[in-house]
Amino acid sequence: MEALRIVIDVFIGISVFFAFAGVVGMLRMPDAFCRMQSSTNISTLGVLGVIIGGILHSLFILGDSAFAIKLGIMGIFYIVTSPIAGHAIAKGAYRHGVRPDKKMSVDKYGEDLVEDLPQETVPDAVEEEVSA
Amino acid sequence: MIMQELVFFAICFIVLACCLLFRFIQGPSVADRAVAADSIDILADMALILFALYSGRSVFLDIALITALLGFIGSTIVARYLEGRL
Repeated sequence: MEALRIVIDVFIGISVFFAFAGVVGMLRMPDAFCRMQSSTNISTLGVLGVIIGGILHSLFILGDSAFAIKLGIMGIFYIVTSPIAGHAIAKGAYRHGVRPDKKMSVDKYGEDLVEDLPQETVPDAVEEEVSA
Repeated sequence: MIMQELVFFAICFIVLACCLLFRFIQGPSVADRAVAADSIDILADMALILFALYSGRSVFLDIALITALLGFIGSTIVARYLEGRL
């Protein structure tokens, strides 16, 4: 039983470590997209250790399989939806006007976006093309 | 067997969430605030799961499940609003 306790503690400790790394990245990274990339660390690896440790704990120590089923549902939900939420926020932030600190050398999404916009709100790039 | 260290790990998660409050308050762009709120939500979820395992009561687990659902819906709606399609 002590060995199982140590295994559960190791899983949750790994999860705390990854959550700590994600929080440090969110506090220290230079611009918004780097911070977004660092926050996915929390929502994937930080969640997974707690879920696995919690399933082991609820099956073998509490002896309650309803806990394990709920934790499994939560884990699958997090793994499926957190990349979608991160991608949606990144896309929304780009369309809202947030840009990285360094100038991007390849920006395919920005080129597609300029073609979609109506003419009166076009940024500088298209006006230069028109004048040339 | 009562595992006291689960409470210690839960306190670690709550302290990390309190550190993220700095980014939520000070963050220069709106995307920073949305991402920080989402991450605070997830860290509070983890603390709730650990406390449910410690106390053996499944009410906290239900609250964590509902918070996970609402966090995903909230961040997706914020993203859609930023895109200008809401």
